[in-house]
Amino acid sequence: MDNRPKIAAITTIYHKYAHTQHIVDRFLEGYGWNSRHHYPPMDLVSLYVEQVKDNDISKDRLERFPTMKGYPTIAEALTLGGEELAVDGVLLIGEHGEYPSNDKGQRLYPRYEHFMEMVEVFQKSGRSVPVFLDKHLSWNWDWAQEMYDISQSMGFAFMAGSSLPVTWRTPSIDMPLGTSVSEGVCVGYGGVDSYDFHALETLQCMVERREGGESGVKWLQAYRGESFWTAHHEKLWSRELFESALSRSHTLTPSRPGFNNPFPTLDEMREIVKDPIAYQYEHNDGLKSTMILMNGLVQDFNFAAYIGSNQDILSTQMYLPMPPARTTLANFFSPLVNNIEKMFLSGEATYPVERTLLTTGLVAAGVDSLFDDEAKIDTPHLDIAYQATEDSTFWRT
Amino acid sequence: MKRIAVITTIYRYLSHAQHFADRFLVGYPKEGRWHRPDMKVVSLYVDQKPESEQSEDRAREFGFTVYPTIAEALRCGGDKIAVDAVLSIGEHGVYPQNELSQVLYPRYEFFKECVKVFEEDGRAVPIFNDKHLSYNFEKAKEMVDDGHRLGFGVLSGSSLPVTWRLPDVDIPYDHELEGAVMVGVGGSDPMDYHALEAMQCMIERRKGGETGVAAVQLIDGDEVWEAGKDGRWSMELLEAALSRSDTPSGLTNEDGRTQNLIGTGELYKLVDNPAAYLIEFNDGFKATLLMLNGAVGDYCFAAKLRDHPVPISTQFFLTPTPNVTYSACLIAKIEELYETGIAPYPAERTLLVSGTLESCLKSRHQGHVRLETPHLNVEYRAPKDSQHARR
Repeated sequence: MDNRPKIAAITTIYHKYAHTQHIVDRFLEGYGWNSRHHYPPMDLVSLYVEQVKDNDISKDRLERFPTMKGYPTIAEALTLGGEELAVDGVLLIGEHGEYPSNDKGQRLYPRYEHFMEMVEVFQKSGRSVPVFLDKHLSWNWDWAQEMYDISQSMGFAFMAGSSLPVTWRTPSIDMPLGTSVSEGVCVGYGGVDSYDFHALETLQCMVERREGGESGVKWLQAYRGESFWTAHHEKLWSRELFESALSRSHTLTPSRPGFNNPFPTLDEMREIVKDPIAYQYEHNDGLKSTMILMNGLVQDFNFAAYIGSNQDILSTQMYLPMPPARTTLANFFSPLVNNIEKMFLSGEATYPVERTLLTTGLVAAGVDSLFDDEAKIDTPHLDIAYQATEDSTFWRT
Repeated sequence: MKRIAVITTIYRYLSHAQHFADRFLVGYPKEGRWHRPDMKVVSLYVDQKPESEQSEDRAREFGFTVYPTIAEALRCGGDKIAVDAVLSIGEHGVYPQNELSQVLYPRYEFFKECVKVFEEDGRAVPIFNDKHLSYNFEKAKEMVDDGHRLGFGVLSGSSLPVTWRLPDVDIPYDHELEGAVMVGVGGSDPMDYHALEAMQCMIERRKGGETGVAAVQLIDGDEVWEAGKDGRWSMELLEAALSRSDTPSGLTNEDGRTQNLIGTGELYKLVDNPAAYLIEFNDGFKATLLMLNGAVGDYCFAAKLRDHPVPISTQFFLTPTPNVTYSACLIAKIEELYETGIAPYPAERTLLVSGTLESCLKSRHQGHVRLETPHLNVEYRAPKDSQHARR
């Protein structure tokens, strides 16, 4: 049993439905996978929890799983109380918990701080191990770039991001690798500096597979409220793709009483969606992508794009079994944990962290554009070119 | 443009009639577009009109007529059949129950009135019959036989066989199967019917095709777990099916944790009166439906394929209310029936499931005895192409 990898979890808070609970619980309790209740072939041996509140369940987990020990500092969690790095993989889960917001409305989760404390241990130990970081790298672009650069220079496997790229799809399709894509749209829901990130990852995990691979992003412009409707009217993004994405939704708010699933007219959408938001951006190879949040109209993430020489539409929904309304388990974390397991076992990320570096920069640019009266933001720093993996990495089995 | 008559028990918000017939009126999501069928609802018959029902509203808005009888609806008030297709929805509404606790929906009666018009007027048109054909096998068989005799397409059944699957898998066609377990929830007889049909649409693809049911037994309570220990159904396949569930209750409700329901034994505490529908087929194949109310809330299936070490398993994805987009998947099949006159998959599936369910309920009623079912010798071949939503 000695060769089972030892994993440390560095987290902000551990309560029901916190990301820590969804991810760490799957390492401890196992999860349904490929017709079995699967237990990851590794041991979660140490836990750091920054905030312990009344709703804490880390105490319960530490009691029920005595092979996992709680530590008061990140360094101790990584060294298991000793002098040197003593684990084979690190989970950094800086989501949920009480943290201040800045004047742009960004929640200042300490992902960078946790990462840097971890890097200090890596440096002192002269050794580094694979790292998974939940969601975007940081709210601060410069920090995100620094985190990425450190992972590159120290040479450890680094994965990050959302569950959206790896969850079920209805239909269960991927962007054919190397196909030409002329425009992509994601229609989702949620707030700025939170679910916008998920919608951007939804878009990016598809369009990154296009001909030539990802080339980076030149500029971004946000639209909100009335200017969203003006842009929609002026077809700054394809209404056909927008409607195709909506046609993949399972949660279209009925626009008329007495009907359970009508397609809303534009006037009805304006009634339902009081605060629509779009981030539109152009990639360096000319591809135009638009992320749209239609709060009130949908509660899922839907993608549509024009592909190939005939401008065929490819569309799907990235399905989130989301508790508590629809399910009791947030099982979209199962394929995420499964990908993390693969990285911990092989020492290789199963998909490129450059995706999440780019979406981290896109979230920050979106926030900046909204804060700056929807100004067009040039993004020369987002000249992030990378190739998608040949194999699809979303949940299909 | 095909003309459709809608024959239903009741038309009110979230009744089957509302969310089926409305899709012909306002369109529905299909393959990434909002699809508006090139068909028109021209007439409607409604058996019960309680307060807050919608038939007259819909008729006014969408320009069709509500007729007092089925014959008039099919003839649009004239003297000859004047429609090209029938949508018959005998679900919801207040109807009595029999001693087997089956609701006596008038699906057979609706169907026979249509057949009478077909025979009198010398023209038969395709019929979609929602859910099981009838609570009674003899009636159900007569309905399917009428379709063959008069040469009209009959499509029937549940949305479960055609909805999205998580993951998107099907039984490899003509592959040898060594066993199957379906997990369902809800009351009898509406929800066990859905679960049985979901199981049937998978196992009918097995080697040699469907051969009919030889015997059934419905057991409940602790005897269900005893039967599992005795190997009358497969614990491995139950684990496989549960691995697809997104809705375990108990400790998951308390603090969100994932659960190995079988390994921890929580399953046995959570299930409120389990029931096993043990089904033996004429070719010797055995399959079991486990109704596990209290433990989970979704419909999951697993089967053992010969020469495959790991069972195949999936969840039949019942998309959220109120959109219930799974019914859009079924409407696409109904549209195909109306367009081509040919059912995309055989009504014999629903016939066999209708009869299997009736016999299971009789087994329960007669003290959970094993019943031989020579009358259920329904043989058919499933279409080779998968019919569930995948595009």
